[in-house]
Amino acid sequence: MSVRREGPGAPEGSRSWGWSRDLAMGVRFAFTGGREGWIRTLLTAVGVGLGVALLLLTTALPNVLSARHEREQARRDYTYDYTPKPPADDTLVIADLDSTYHGDDVRGRLVQPDGPRAPVPPGLRTFPAVGDMVVSPALKKLLESDDGALLRERLPYRITGTIGESGLIGSHELAYYAGVDGLAAKIDPPNVARISAFGEPHPFAEEAADPVLLLLVLVVFAVLLMPVAVFVATAVRFGGERRDRRLAALRLIGSDSRMVRRIAAGEALAGALLGLVLGTLFFLAGRQIAGTAEVFRVSVFPSYLNPSPALAVLVAVAVPMAAVLVTLFALRGVVIEPLGVVRTARPARRRLWWRLLLPAGGLALLYPMLGQGRENGDFNQYMVTCGVLLLLVGVTALLPWVVEAVVARLHSGGVAWQLAVRRLQLSSGSAARMVNGIAVAVAGAIALQMLFTGVDADYTKATGQDVTRAQMEVSVPDGVPMARVTRELGATKGVRKVVALSEGNLGERRMSADLNAQVTVGDCAALREVATLPSCREGDVFALRGSDYDDNMQKLTGFRTLFLDPADGEEDTESTPVAWTVPRGLKQAQTRLDMTGVKRGGFLVTPAALPAKGAATVHGHVFLGLDPSVPDAQEYVRNTAARIDPLADPMTWSATVESGRFASIRTGLFVGAACVLALIGVSLLVSQLEQLRERRKLLSALVAFGTRRRTLSMSVLWQTAIPIALGLGLAAVVGLTLGTVLLKMTGTSVSVDWVSVLSMTGVGAGVVLLVTLLSLPPLVRLMRPDGLRTE
Amino acid sequence: MTSPTPPPGSLLTASELRKTYGPTTALDGAAFSIHPGEVVAVMGPSGSGKSTLLHCLAGIVTPDSGSITYDGREMATMNDSQRSALRRSEFGFVFQFGQLVPELSCVENVALPLRLNGTGRKEAERTALSWMERLEVDDLKGKRPGEVSGGQGQRVAVARSLVTSPRVLFADEPTGALDSLNGERVMELLTDAARSTNAAVVLVTHEARVAAYSDREVVVRDGRSRDMERVV
Repeated sequence: MSVRREGPGAPEGSRSWGWSRDLAMGVRFAFTGGREGWIRTLLTAVGVGLGVALLLLTTALPNVLSARHEREQARRDYTYDYTPKPPADDTLVIADLDSTYHGDDVRGRLVQPDGPRAPVPPGLRTFPAVGDMVVSPALKKLLESDDGALLRERLPYRITGTIGESGLIGSHELAYYAGVDGLAAKIDPPNVARISAFGEPHPFAEEAADPVLLLLVLVVFAVLLMPVAVFVATAVRFGGERRDRRLAALRLIGSDSRMVRRIAAGEALAGALLGLVLGTLFFLAGRQIAGTAEVFRVSVFPSYLNPSPALAVLVAVAVPMAAVLVTLFALRGVVIEPLGVVRTARPARRRLWWRLLLPAGGLALLYPMLGQGRENGDFNQYMVTCGVLLLLVGVTALLPWVVEAVVARLHSGGVAWQLAVRRLQLSSGSAARMVNGIAVAVAGAIALQMLFTGVDADYTKATGQDVTRAQMEVSVPDGVPMARVTRELGATKGVRKVVALSEGNLGERRMSADLNAQVTVGDCAALREVATLPSCREGDVFALRGSDYDDNMQKLTGFRTLFLDPADGEEDTESTPVAWTVPRGLKQAQTRLDMTGVKRGGFLVTPAALPAKGAATVHGHVFLGLDPSVPDAQEYVRNTAARIDPLADPMTWSATVESGRFASIRTGLFVGAACVLALIGVSLLVSQLEQLRERRKLLSALVAFGTRRRTLSMSVLWQTAIPIALGLGLAAVVGLTLGTVLLKMTGTSVSVDWVSVLSMTGVGAGVVLLVTLLSLPPLVRLMRPDGLRTE
Repeated sequence: MTSPTPPPGSLLTASELRKTYGPTTALDGAAFSIHPGEVVAVMGPSGSGKSTLLHCLAGIVTPDSGSITYDGREMATMNDSQRSALRRSEFGFVFQFGQLVPELSCVENVALPLRLNGTGRKEAERTALSWMERLEVDDLKGKRPGEVSGGQGQRVAVARSLVTSPRVLFADEPTGALDSLNGERVMELLTDAARSTNAAVVLVTHEARVAAYSDREVVVRDGRSRDMERVV
């Protein structure tokens, strides 16, 4: 019999009063339910808190990106104005000396103010004096440590101060400004330039947002936020089974089933509200920690992590509401009866049709955008986000049905298998709930991986550099003798091969030449890297054939005198044309693919065949083969280059180069995915431990009558493995579907990267395996037969 | 005080058992003995140590000191897996709340100890069903424990405890969660079935009405045991 109680003085028939009274009672129970109650509330609060913190962190990400962009913009010193600028009171000569140290970027600038009103870079109070440098705190720490010894050699300046936060884009950024003199003589925009202000706006319109990149950002957000939402929904049910049993006592004293559900919802609400508080605290703590951490070589300042107020309010409202709704929804199938008995009614068979509506709705939203491609792509943000979310929510709706349908068909095997299968048959819902988060994360990750792989070719360009022949290149500043560079780099530790080539161009006239050709200067060994030479000795000159683009050669070889570095016109004051007599014994040579991936044309000239003034008209490049067994070979090369001339520009070669924005989205995904997977792992572990604790007495009884621990451990493993296998299978199907749709939206040909699919599902399975392993020690502890003791 | 030297032919004997849990002394020199086919009630107030005595006798808990001999074998010399094997093959258990595995059907629950001993599923379930018939719960074979009443569940638990034909049956407050009518029915069935297989029954209870089904009573108080003279 159920008795509907109304509180004293309650307005008769007031539903809202009944609701608020029951919810309030639940909140009170959550805090006054003794140790058990407290533990449950705290468990929920910590779970919700972690989710809330991650939600707040994610909503703060756009702000992080814009804050970093603003800082970067404010200190911009790159100039597109190549016209010579005279020195003035308010100008500054600045040289870009960006470098790399052990894989980390080092932002370096040499500065020489022309006058007292020269613009001071953001983060600096004054200019460093000549020979001094002002460094970022991270660089200071690095230079003072043993790890920074090699970098210290490269920066022979005295540290006199640190760059303030306003001059840095992240707390771990390595940056410095060094004071030098004589820089004005080396002005060569954009690397060495005279500027009158920092942060000058880009002269051209900002690059329009690439629709595919926008699509990627939207999907990354949806994919990361969805598992967090699933996690929050799971967290509000922590300790639910124990609570349900306790609520039976309320039925005994006359509460009806609706009331106990509302009271249960009130308890969940209390946990969620406390979770909001904890989440805010976690977020604030995480914000501070984020300021000291660096993930995937990206660091931030705590001040960047400001969640958007609207999104923060949404989180504050949605989380408690979700707690109430999830609890009411979850209690639908639970019949709480008096006498301390909770009977889980044999659940009605789950229906498939409405579960299919969700992914179908998602596909319907995405369908109109199929085939738009990058050129026509104008993806509706709301439709994309809702479509992706519906498809992913579809996983959480479909999974309980799939688990139920499959486990119902599983037959008995050994005792461990039987215990696991029967348990899953009895409560397939909780099993599915446990793996929902992982399944959603894996489905999203597979789709994203497909999208990334599909469009990867558009954002990753082959450099053409042949990394088997050279691994580094040093660009030699004008005026530095090539012989010295070749000698010193050749003597550098870890350098196995040196190919020094200087490049310039020549024409048939001193000024405004109609015919132009490339000229490459190097010794015979170096020239053999770019062409097949019949024979070679100092003083030889070769006319190249076989080049793809050089069709002036036939005509130019007819001239007796050609001009190195011909001027473009009257205004071209920088060129210094030098006459060069084409030798009579001009040899022919067949061009070959050089190390930079180019089939050169023009003339190959040995140094002795170059006129005395000709050396100043060509620019030197030294290509280096490194010894892979010398771990710091690159750093030694950079140090030698800096010693020869700080403006020498060493570059490390790679076969491909990735678009910066594409790379940052990919990095963002990895950071987010790592956090989400860790969170889901924690949630899985808590659920697992809670279930084990629930069954403590039963486990002890089973052990008491002789059940082997191995049997019980295997049964727990099967209980996790079966739903996980099903969850990952479903995730793969949904992920491949979503990935296919996204690729079709971007107009990219669809291909499945099975390695990615397997690795993503492998990561998901790995998390579960790790959680199972972590839950084994408590399981063994709980299986002690003395767990039967009650006093 | 401790019980006198056990009579010859006893199946399970314990003497000078001591067991503490932190500062609490559960057993303080308790003794016990039981013969094949005998039903012994262990009585005493809550917290007196009677359940601990049962757990020690069954090899579930290891006493701090004292001796327990089963069929001439000293339990202290057995390792954990040997004690587990003993519980699996020679002992049976009934607990206050049945402790049936909720996800298994009643017949699967009863068959479980046989399956743990390596008996095939079909044969185990056939034997289980015959025991369920004896305990008048064969009509529940397909139901799950959550779908049957407390008394029915307890009779299923008794069937489970007897299905391996144990030589000793340990029953810890087997009727504690039942009304008197159901409790009596369970006790009748339990003792009849045990006697029919010559199983010894160690029956922990605090109810005189339940103890009345025993041949002998041992009272535990403050961790010490004492044989009671049966007043007829």
